[in-house]
Amino acid sequence: MTRYWLCVRFILRRNWLRLLIWAAVLAVMIPVVYNSQQQAFPTQAARNSYAQVANTPAVAAMTGLPYAAGSLGGILVIKIWMTLALALAFASIFLVTRNGRADEEAGRTELLRASALGRHAYSMANYSVAGGLSVVVGLLISLLCLAEKLPAAGSWVMGASIAGTGLAFLAVAAICGQLSSTSRGANSLGVAVLAVFYFIRAAADLQADGSNVTALSWFSPIGWAQNMRSFGQDTWWPLLPLLALTVLGCALALRIETRRDLGMGLLAERRGPGRASAFLTEPVGLVLRLQRGSLVGWLVGAVVAGLFFGGVAQAMSTVLEPSNAFAKAFVGSAPNILDGVLGIFVLFTAMLSGAFAVQSLAGARAEEAGGRLEPQLAGALSRSTWLWAHVLVAAVGSAVILLLGGYLTGASSSGAATGPQLAGAAFAYWPAVLLMMGVQLFLQGFLPRLSTGITWAVYGASMLVAMFGGLFSLSEQVIRSTPFGAVPRLPAEDFTPLPLVVLTAIAVVLAALGMRRFGTRDVMPE
Amino acid sequence: MPNIPAIEAAGLRKRFGRTTALDGLDLRVDRGTVAGFLGPNGSGKSTTIRILLGLLRSDGGSATLLGGDPWNDAVELHRRIAYVPGDVNLWPNLTGGQAIDILSRLRGGVDNAKRDELLARFELDPTKKARSYSKGNRQKVALVAGLASNAELLVLDEPTSGLDPLMEEVFTDCIREVKAQGRSVLLSSHIFAEVEKLCDTVTIIREGQTVEAGRLEELRHLHRTTISVLLDRDASVLASVPGVNELVADGPKATFTVGEAELGAVLAAISTYSPRQLVSSPPSLEDLFLRHYGGVPTGPVAAAAQTAGMR
Repeated sequence: MTRYWLCVRFILRRNWLRLLIWAAVLAVMIPVVYNSQQQAFPTQAARNSYAQVANTPAVAAMTGLPYAAGSLGGILVIKIWMTLALALAFASIFLVTRNGRADEEAGRTELLRASALGRHAYSMANYSVAGGLSVVVGLLISLLCLAEKLPAAGSWVMGASIAGTGLAFLAVAAICGQLSSTSRGANSLGVAVLAVFYFIRAAADLQADGSNVTALSWFSPIGWAQNMRSFGQDTWWPLLPLLALTVLGCALALRIETRRDLGMGLLAERRGPGRASAFLTEPVGLVLRLQRGSLVGWLVGAVVAGLFFGGVAQAMSTVLEPSNAFAKAFVGSAPNILDGVLGIFVLFTAMLSGAFAVQSLAGARAEEAGGRLEPQLAGALSRSTWLWAHVLVAAVGSAVILLLGGYLTGASSSGAATGPQLAGAAFAYWPAVLLMMGVQLFLQGFLPRLSTGITWAVYGASMLVAMFGGLFSLSEQVIRSTPFGAVPRLPAEDFTPLPLVVLTAIAVVLAALGMRRFGTRDVMPE
Repeated sequence: MPNIPAIEAAGLRKRFGRTTALDGLDLRVDRGTVAGFLGPNGSGKSTTIRILLGLLRSDGGSATLLGGDPWNDAVELHRRIAYVPGDVNLWPNLTGGQAIDILSRLRGGVDNAKRDELLARFELDPTKKARSYSKGNRQKVALVAGLASNAELLVLDEPTSGLDPLMEEVFTDCIREVKAQGRSVLLSSHIFAEVEKLCDTVTIIREGQTVEAGRLEELRHLHRTTISVLLDRDASVLASVPGVNELVADGPKATFTVGEAELGAVLAAISTYSPRQLVSSPPSLEDLFLRHYGGVPTGPVAAAAQTAGMR
């Protein structure tokens, strides 16, 4: 353990900004969400009526079994506990891998270990810093809950249960970092374990009888933390197995580290096919293969979101009071709340689709920046064929996400709307998504190095205005002149084709200019 | 057809913002020859190659590739050429074998027998993910993809960077086979031995301009031969012999250079000083190169070059 503290300082020096941002973003969710819930459910009567309908299968599966929905603390847990716990678990996994396996893979660990450094000093320091983040975030959460005048016992259990989740997955990541020989492998393995434990507890929460969970819940560390039940029974003892898992996991990881060679993992790097299929050697096939993982992720996201939106639409519209100013600004001037809620959900689906399109098309610039475009163009491949392959995948993929997400929202809405109805409503946003792609193609032609950053900024600003413009008291006219605000918000509003025609026309012009420029400019690797 | 050079560039210019990368560069590669392309880092070798591949647009001058325009006819021309970059970027989550097939099929097709033979010769495992390849193995992927083709012209940009000496030898054999088949090669390189072994012609560039070009033997003729002698007396007497340049005398030993025209007269003069030993070496490519860059070579020639600076 020689020079342990030096390693701690070194890791802090390299990660302080990242740590600060994680801690700040996670902690600030507490006051933000708490205040919004206070406005949404201002009276005890409102909270009581929410408690009647809070326990839907979708809520139980996604965010955990509601057990104290009649209190503000209980509502806070439903709205944010799972998000914070999962986010902290992700933070632990990424942080441990970044400072552990990624450094080892890049050969930096070798440089450090060649100096007078204890064998485990660096790994211990890595685990300590990641653990420190969990503890600090837990403390901040507890203190912010106390500052909101929530019950003290519940506030402390809330922070401790979230910190405990972060610590448990720090141990998971520590072991994964020893098993895999690549950082990508370590991260994937850690996230896969997290997903498995998430689904185990989701199954347990779905099988629950009233507010009593089944034994299955105890097969997942997330379940242990949930069973601490902040602002409910406030049970402390499940924290013990969480801490035990942390200590034992880290000890096991260090033991493996003693026995293995530097740079090696216990799991061998997977091999792949020695030949490329005919599909892979087609430009579109290559794009689909390169984006396979993210495509599957976005489609699963669209399916889960669609089912979730449909599942909660009815419940949400009965809870929201038409007189509530917050709700009104958010839902818009729909004649009835249910259509307004569906309109918002369709906009969410459009948000997913737009983000997919931007990310997917940014892959084209990433190929160019990464130096992988040049050898392709040195073959008999024209620039336009290559770029069209990327445009095609982004355009068709975003359309599929819109139709799928919209359809599932309608189909699972217990009669609030039909699948085809909302699939159509969501598809009305396709021209706005195409406009995002147009902006990106234009920038990739004229400002390639900045294109991805600027496009994300344009997308983010358009989304913010469309989603929260009403809350910020922006005028109807301003909102209508932004890409996603211009689209008629079906089913709450009537369909008008003009905005869609205008959006498509702008998109086509921008894309044409950008693609033309791309055909005549230098190829610019980073 | 044989009269059209594989590559002909004249007065090529390219600017990136305020920096001038190419400032009137000339380059010619005849059919069926292997042309060396030498220059220090940043002298414009890769920029020239990128213009020839239609990846960059030149700001002036002319260039033809196999008789076509590198920019306008890019796609058609690329069916007939193979390119191996010096810095190979691959898709990290695809295997080396997949990358070879993708790059080969973009050109037109894969000669499977040749591909397998090259994989064996370069000892490359095609089932490993590109992420886990070392620099040398990534280079092999590009080499196998490029050499497995039957392209008329091979454009190689420092193709052996990261390869070990054994693999460099395999590469040398491969290029000799390409040459024997009458195909053309442009070989940009840092390694003098490689260029001397393989190339018929050499183009040396500096700061975006061609400073020396021609057949290697011709270039040697233009430059002075280095002679080392051991005399029976103090070698400083050679200073008075006309035609002796860059003399470094150390007791009876001396090293100096002589131009082709004066060689006979100088040798006649030396014979009167009863030489015990005489070694004559033609100028190496390294000498030619360093002459243009003012660098410091190693060995006796280095000392000669340093005194040359004093003259």
